[in-house]
Amino acid sequence: MTTREKQTPLELVQGTLDLLILQTLAFGKTHGHAIARTIERRSDEVLQVGHGSLYPALQRLLKSGLIVAEDGVSENNRKARFYRLTAKGRKQLSAESSKWERLTSAIARVLTPVAEEQS
Amino acid sequence: MFGWGRRRERLLQEFEEHVQMETAENILAGMSADEARRAARKRFGNTLAAVEDAQDVWGWVWLERLVQDVRYAVRSLRGAPAYTAALVCTLALGLGCVTTMVAIVESILLRPVALPEAAQLVQVYSQDDASGMTASAHALAYPTIDTLRRNVRGFAGVAGYNTMVHPVRTDDDMRVTPIVEVTPDLLSVMGLEAKLGRLVTPKDTDGQVAVVSEGFWRERMHGDARAVGSTIYVAGKLRTVIGVLPSGARVAPGTGEVIVYLPVVLNAKGEDEFGIESASTIARLKPGVTKQQALADAESVFAHAPRKYGEKQRHVALRSYLKLVVGDMERPLLALLGGVGVLLLIACANAANLQIGRAANRMAEMSVRSALGASFGRLLQQMVTESVLVSLAGAVLGAGIAYAVVGMVRRTYGGDFARFDELAVRPTVLIATATLAVLVGVLATLAPMLSIYRGIHAQFSAKNITRRSRLPGLLVALQVALTCVLLVVGGLFVRTLQSLENVRLGFDPHGVTTLILMPADRTQSPERSRQVEMELLHRFEALPGIESVTMQTSIPFSTYNMTLEGTTEVEGRPFHKDDEAFYSLVSTNFVKTSGIGLLQGRGFVQSDESAGGVVVLVNEAFVKKYLAEREAMGTQLHFHRGEGETDADLPIVMAMTVVGVVENEVQGGNLGAPYQPMVYVNNLQLPKGSLFEQLFNMAAQYAVRSNLSQDALAAEIRAVLRREAPGMAEMSLKPMQEGIEKSLGQRRLAMRLVGGFGIAALILSAVGIYGVLAYSVARRRREIGIRIALGSTRARAAGLVMQQAGEMVALGLLPGVAAAWGAGHALRSYLYGVKSLDPMTLALAGVVLLAIAAISASVPALRAAQVDTMEALRAE
Repeated sequence: MTTREKQTPLELVQGTLDLLILQTLAFGKTHGHAIARTIERRSDEVLQVGHGSLYPALQRLLKSGLIVAEDGVSENNRKARFYRLTAKGRKQLSAESSKWERLTSAIARVLTPVAEEQS
Repeated sequence: MFGWGRRRERLLQEFEEHVQMETAENILAGMSADEARRAARKRFGNTLAAVEDAQDVWGWVWLERLVQDVRYAVRSLRGAPAYTAALVCTLALGLGCVTTMVAIVESILLRPVALPEAAQLVQVYSQDDASGMTASAHALAYPTIDTLRRNVRGFAGVAGYNTMVHPVRTDDDMRVTPIVEVTPDLLSVMGLEAKLGRLVTPKDTDGQVAVVSEGFWRERMHGDARAVGSTIYVAGKLRTVIGVLPSGARVAPGTGEVIVYLPVVLNAKGEDEFGIESASTIARLKPGVTKQQALADAESVFAHAPRKYGEKQRHVALRSYLKLVVGDMERPLLALLGGVGVLLLIACANAANLQIGRAANRMAEMSVRSALGASFGRLLQQMVTESVLVSLAGAVLGAGIAYAVVGMVRRTYGGDFARFDELAVRPTVLIATATLAVLVGVLATLAPMLSIYRGIHAQFSAKNITRRSRLPGLLVALQVALTCVLLVVGGLFVRTLQSLENVRLGFDPHGVTTLILMPADRTQSPERSRQVEMELLHRFEALPGIESVTMQTSIPFSTYNMTLEGTTEVEGRPFHKDDEAFYSLVSTNFVKTSGIGLLQGRGFVQSDESAGGVVVLVNEAFVKKYLAEREAMGTQLHFHRGEGETDADLPIVMAMTVVGVVENEVQGGNLGAPYQPMVYVNNLQLPKGSLFEQLFNMAAQYAVRSNLSQDALAAEIRAVLRREAPGMAEMSLKPMQEGIEKSLGQRRLAMRLVGGFGIAALILSAVGIYGVLAYSVARRRREIGIRIALGSTRARAAGLVMQQAGEMVALGLLPGVAAAWGAGHALRSYLYGVKSLDPMTLALAGVVLLAIAAISASVPALRAAQVDTMEALRAE
């Protein structure tokens, strides 16, 4: 039962996680561990990704054809699954990120005065 | 399944790589190997949950889970073979009985008869008994059928038929054969087409054609394709076969496979060539017309139809053709279906109890699985899968049982009851059984699931607490109650059969053989038939080893009886409209041959035959109804002359003098039927030219009392027939007791079925009681050990268990007896000689139940008495 409770906050970032993965893959193909690491590093460790929850998101993207997976060898000579953006994925990324920017700026505009009042 | 397995495998592999990379990074960051791996794992989270979620994305997981559950269930069931066997057998018994009964009901009551658009076929019948010369109690006169056909708009066609038997001669031999006389359009109303040749048309009015059934064509005409155009003799008359019906085309219910169809030809008096004025009537509804509309229409047409005297006060009614075919079997069959429903409930209670016991043993497993992250829903799914799996296994076995039983019933009773030759377990029934099995499986998990829910939501482990659930006890009480109902009903049927077997017959069938003949040539004059039959009577009487012989138009348990109902005036008593009596033509030696008790006066004597007047015997019922508190001897009776009737319409014009009173004898073919007032007339004394003389052209029934063996007697009689009366066809020759035995067949079948259900219920209940007690003793082992250690005796420990059994049974018996009373009341019309609340039967059922309960409780009780105190305490 405890596992269920842990999942709850994750669901809030579900759509976002997909976007983050796509963005990460925009720089080239890479494997699951690297994706998790990159997201953490690029967000200055603010966004903590439960590594396990990365994979359902990857499967979801695979299923909708935004990415493809292929076997490869990692930087330290390990066998690994590499994920790569498809053309459809690239298009989706640009559409989603512009939508995301509009959304965040809108939210920011709404939130800012409140934040000022509080501070 | 393979695909999912690979995907899962690959995901797990990928996770492993992920964790290893993370571990490697951690080691680089300066952690120890162990620490690094632990941290990596922690970071990753629950691997199994991640795999499930990742797989979930691809769908079909429910199916995979199902497969997983089924695999798991098979494995866990294999680990508990005794439990599995008990559960499967219980359910096989319950579902088998239900499948059998549902298959029978489906085959007989639900399945449409094998005729095109059979749902639109209805029987039109008169609700009151017909009078005049008729072959069926609900027949309509031929002119009425014609009026209905021409005037009722809701009917696409109306036609009639009569069934009878007559000798039919083909090139090979002469055999007594069922004949169906049909109006010209009957076969087309029924939607039949000829397999060979053609069917009858309204133009076939010369009375010289016949259509035969496929069975007749195959058996009697060698299946010859050139049969059309050949000739046969029906009741002595030459007829040309113009067509053959397809196989399985049943026109008149209860006539079998080998049938000759004759078109009806009416004479000026409106009678057919057999002297019959009316026919059973079949109509086809026009498409879209309901039965109610058609009935309203038919009623108004009927009200204005020209009718003969007999039909004046009658009302028409409609019923489906299927109802006509199955007759009075609907209610008994539905009652039996109710019986198996009860049996299934008992089996279901057993299954629930077995699962409660098993669930308690698996509580630890469930707790662990729950702790590992399995949701309650997931556990529920697993339990239900297991239960349904067992149920379906039970259903498969049950279907096997049903196949065997239904096949056996078809072979044994196929010829005896309507449609029993069509019995089969059809796919729809199997689907119903499977559905029922799934339902039973789900229902049976409810109770155990509840206890598991409580178990895993409990604050601490309940392993060491002996909590007694009341549910198993209640389920056993329910079983006991239901078993009580089945036992009592079975008992009532047994008592009914006993009373019927001991019914006062009024005559002595021992050593009596009945012989039924019929003139092969119906065209010969009744006088001639009478002469031949009388000569035969005297020839039989003269045979060695034969005590006496009588003719009887109405022999108990014969299927060729003539019912002669006559409105009768009794001298010195005002006549009422419904003063009727049944007449039987017998011979001089009637009293001696039948063994009927002579209560007053005398029987017929030879001098009566030549005396001028007519003397008769009457029975007790006649005396009770018409001659109460009067001297019966010498009373004069005569037939009542109805409005517009002349002497020619009366069978006997002159007065009949009562010379003797005989005991009531069972009439017809029903042992439980009430006695009717009877008048016995000596056929040797019957005036020449009487209406009754016609009867000699129909079945001639002889009762022969003899001490010869059946074979010797038959040989003697047949030798006489061959020599003296080659023109008489033999219809039946058998001991009278065979007919009596056969008349109980339907009741015996019902008794066997209900008795079988009762025994099955008893076994299930015994298993149920044993199971609950054995489980309870197993759980209370320590408690009992402590009790004994503290000074209780072993006998008391056993008593504890017996007491628990007693409580459950007592709890069930009370409502059981009440329900049994109700069931008996509902079935009272099938009982004879026993009341619906029969103390004897109730007491016996109670004793049997208590005995079975005691036996099944004794093993757990013994086990309780043998609890090893030390061992039980050490387990603390």
